[in-house]
Amino acid sequence: MAKQNVKRKRPLIGMSYQGALLALLVFLIVLFGLLEPVFFHPNVLFNVTAIIGEIGIMALAMTFIITTGGIDLSVGYILQLSAIVFGSVYGSSHSLAQAIAAAMLCATACGFLNGIIISKTKIPPLVTTLATMNLYRGLSMIVAGSQTYSGFPEGFKQISTINLFGIVPIQFTYFLVLFLAFALFYSKGTLGRNLKGIGFNEQVLVFSGINTKRSLLFIYTLCGFMCGLGALIYLGRLSAATTSMGNDLNLQVITAVVLGGTSIMGGIGSVAGTFIGVLIIGVLRKGFTLLNFSGNIFNFTLGVILIIALVAFALLEERKRTSQRRLKG
Amino acid sequence: MKHKRIFTRETILGLIVLAFMAYLSLTTNFASRNGFFSMMLDVSPTIVGAIAMSLVIFTGNIDISAGTILGFVSYTAGELAMSGAPMVLFVPAAIVVGMLIAGLNGWISVTFRVPSIVVTLAMNMVHLGFYATFLRNSGWIENLGDNFTWFGRGMFFNLVPYIFIVSLVVAAIFIFIMRYSKFGKTLYAVGGNRQAAIYAGINPDRTVIKVYLVEGFLLGIAGLLKAMTRSDVLPSSFQGREMTFIAAAVVGGVNIMGGSGKLIGALFGALLVYMLSTAMIYMGFQDYYQFALQGVIILIAVFITVTDFKALKHNLRHAFAAREGK
Amino acid sequence: METKTEARSDDLVLRIEGIYKSFPGVNALTNMTIDLRPAEVHAVCGENGAGKSTLMKIITGIYKPDRGWMKLNGESLDIDSPIDAYSRGIAIIFQETSLFPDLTVLENIFMGHELKKPLPGTARLISILDYPAMRRKAKEIFDRLGMAVDLEARVADLGVATKQMVEIAKALSFDSRILILDEPTAALTNKEVDTLFETIRKLKAHGVSMLYISHRLDEIFQIADRVTVIRDGEHINTEDVAKVTKDELVSWMVGRVLTNLYPKEEFEIGEVVFEARGIVQAGVLKGIDLELRKGEILGISGLAGAGRTELALALCGFTRLDSGRILLDGKERHFANYRQAMDNGIVYISEDRQKYGLVVPMSISENITLPLLAKISRGMGIIDRAAEREINDSYMERLAIKAPDGGFVVNNLSGGNQQKVSVAKALATLPRILVLDEPTRGVDVGAKSEIHRIISNLAKDGKSIIMISSDLPEILGMSDRVIVMKTGSKMGELMRDALSQERILELAL
Repeated sequence: MAKQNVKRKRPLIGMSYQGALLALLVFLIVLFGLLEPVFFHPNVLFNVTAIIGEIGIMALAMTFIITTGGIDLSVGYILQLSAIVFGSVYGSSHSLAQAIAAAMLCATACGFLNGIIISKTKIPPLVTTLATMNLYRGLSMIVAGSQTYSGFPEGFKQISTINLFGIVPIQFTYFLVLFLAFALFYSKGTLGRNLKGIGFNEQVLVFSGINTKRSLLFIYTLCGFMCGLGALIYLGRLSAATTSMGNDLNLQVITAVVLGGTSIMGGIGSVAGTFIGVLIIGVLRKGFTLLNFSGNIFNFTLGVILIIALVAFALLEERKRTSQRRLKG
Repeated sequence: MKHKRIFTRETILGLIVLAFMAYLSLTTNFASRNGFFSMMLDVSPTIVGAIAMSLVIFTGNIDISAGTILGFVSYTAGELAMSGAPMVLFVPAAIVVGMLIAGLNGWISVTFRVPSIVVTLAMNMVHLGFYATFLRNSGWIENLGDNFTWFGRGMFFNLVPYIFIVSLVVAAIFIFIMRYSKFGKTLYAVGGNRQAAIYAGINPDRTVIKVYLVEGFLLGIAGLLKAMTRSDVLPSSFQGREMTFIAAAVVGGVNIMGGSGKLIGALFGALLVYMLSTAMIYMGFQDYYQFALQGVIILIAVFITVTDFKALKHNLRHAFAAREGK
Repeated sequence: METKTEARSDDLVLRIEGIYKSFPGVNALTNMTIDLRPAEVHAVCGENGAGKSTLMKIITGIYKPDRGWMKLNGESLDIDSPIDAYSRGIAIIFQETSLFPDLTVLENIFMGHELKKPLPGTARLISILDYPAMRRKAKEIFDRLGMAVDLEARVADLGVATKQMVEIAKALSFDSRILILDEPTAALTNKEVDTLFETIRKLKAHGVSMLYISHRLDEIFQIADRVTVIRDGEHINTEDVAKVTKDELVSWMVGRVLTNLYPKEEFEIGEVVFEARGIVQAGVLKGIDLELRKGEILGISGLAGAGRTELALALCGFTRLDSGRILLDGKERHFANYRQAMDNGIVYISEDRQKYGLVVPMSISENITLPLLAKISRGMGIIDRAAEREINDSYMERLAIKAPDGGFVVNNLSGGNQQKVSVAKALATLPRILVLDEPTRGVDVGAKSEIHRIISNLAKDGKSIIMISSDLPEILGMSDRVIVMKTGSKMGELMRDALSQERILELAL
């Protein structure tokens, strides 16, 4: 093979894909701005970043999971269950510290349960989390009954209502900081390397002396933990824990990740892509709200976007494969 | 040499179903006319839906949007019945709608090589959004007349609902198809060993699209059986039914990884899942315990089918031996 | 060399002429020619990677040839798929099983070509599967094979040999006149091999022609009428088995004299560093003892299925021992997992690069550093890129891996270079003991001798090496000492001066 003919390694998702995503983001902002000029107001634009806090941080953990070729369908109801636990513990103890601890513990335990089942048994992640999704949903309803929890202290609400410099929503800074950390571990850390390896071929890692089960257990537990954080941020913003708050969250989170260029088949992914994906979802949600579209239209659009993203990604991969064949032949 | 195993998984399941029935009869008023009647009424759509889901699972796929497909089916039937269409018209129309929507799932999944669970998860949302966005009153239709409900409420000898008979006939036909048709064998082949299926001249992609069409057909029937017992239709109320179907299938021994399982098992699974939830209601648990129960049932049933117990026993023995050695 | 024994071409059942097939980077077959007479067993032999399997896949329509033609009973033959081949009476028994584990024997035999009958009362509009007819036919086939198999048994519950019989029965259910057996004895015990040969003879008596692919020479002399040797995708020679000796076959296969293939360098061999005593794994390993010295290359020979890989996995902590002890420098060790073995300086290089050796879509450096990520990362598990590059560059240079840099994706490398990356990945863990499983499988001749040079140098540096190989010249050329295994037992141990192909085969067979 002559040197100049060999194909150089390029990032599997090149800038072109993320560039296209950014263009889509800008296009959507302009589109909504033209339809509803108030959209261009800085307060509105920054509000977009406020409403994506919880799905953003869940999407970061989900990027790790999907990179391994897995998935977690239960994220929405882990968030719901830990929010309900928060409400219930606060309602009986009136201690913020206890309520926060209980909520985080509950979320982490849920993630840990997913992780244990996925890493210790042969039940695939899809089936595991499909089942635990129902389990956590049921548990949250059992705890809450028909109750809605609210009346949290003002001090607590500040975790999601303060604006830094008078304009930047604080939950966006949480998301930003966590994004930087996740991006670092993903692209430069041993963890990220292992996750991609698991997504491509877990056996090779086992034969390299790597405990892949531990990595899997860790990321599903981490995902649970992030759902707990999401629950607190969500509660700070909405001030009420209900048994329907987690309903459509898993779709939003998965859509953000897949749209961001993480392959549902595993191995390939991008935390930066997820970041843009989350922003796109935020813009859509805000734009739809301003245009008085219902939440159902939003969900409908998300479902369509998810399917288009999956199909587009599959087509891109196919084209890359055929072009590689041509190069080799 | 011909010996038949008597204690197959299916006969054991059948016995468990009988034992459970006996237990419920002794401890509750299950054995009464009301108990049996409501069982037959409630379990009929589940039986047909579980069979539909099992067929898809045989090929190594799944359909998370099965519940919301029922919504489309019942809306189509209800809308047509509202405008005065007779049963011979709205039943086939509803079934065709079911086939088209389910077929789309299969087509997207095989054409673009996307796992069916993700496609159908997204579709589930698309469907719900569709009802709310494009259907008048989110597809809610009320005050449906006799032309819609006569069959769903009809019964033989004032005891056995027509729909129960329909579900049993459908089950019987599909058990027959799985045993006596090439199509049935093809499903197991595709789910069991895709490469070998190709070598045997089977086109896996076409098979998967076909199985989704058949699933849509059956979901059409299941949706009608459920809808026609009531005088109103609300499409979004069917969301979540897919979990019951999946639970029934896996409890019935259908391997979630594809390639094995029996429809008679799915039939027993549907009965068992129904009786479990009935028992919970009798014991005074609220309705919402069902979600948690279904989750746990699926986990346990799948664990039993996918775990290699010989290896597990071997490993456990080692673990104990190691501990004693220290 | 041309085919010496020409038969009149209209007598031939199958004729294949001038077949060419290439894959990206490799010419798998060049001007391949072979024919098959009625009721004969025609053996095809060659080393691993000689092109045997490619040829079979072309005959059964899994691959399309680039050039060349095939004739069946004198008529031109064009096959699109295995099912097409089946329907024309050509059936293949695959090396990797093509059965459906959860279905019954009967369902497996007739999958894709079920017998049908009209459903009574439907005026022939609907036809259903005819179980009684299928059962009759299956029974008839098994009778012909002289076997009794429970038709209702689940295939997953059957042994390997019975599964193979089911495959043969499946082939015969098409009334095949041509049967292709691809390494059929690979996973069988001696007794099962005898039964299989009995079956082959019966089929021959029924007029079935067979292509028998194997690299086990003794089997060829036992069962075949003619033998064709192929090497590097080319037809080398065809001869009546009666007219050929084993030595001739071997020389055709390797294409050169065996001696002086790999320059064996002699170094001083040190003290014992590693010992295994009475290694037992129920049903797999039956009490194996071995010791390994510093700077020694210990060859492990034996047929496929002799338990060599299983032994390697047990020694490296991948699988549990039922009993037995492992001693390192005279001290007993327990390896609960591979990582612990690795930490003690033992490393295993798998025979299957694509499956267990390398993450092929990842880059060279990502693969090399995979086992030592923890060592080259700073606090919080952030990888030290400079250290990674340094390790990568030094091994790429040492092993002469031909790629522009460490960022190159492994998938795009040749087999030989991939194997070098595999070795580099092992060496980067700084091992004292290397367990190499088929180190030159699927690499070309040039890369092969390069890998042998690397192994030799490692021994010179004082590393101890266990080398599992099915390639006899490799074992003969490289080893200081050889252990021969058969069905999980150690059959004998040969010092270098007592090594000969005959001695090894005697023990292995």
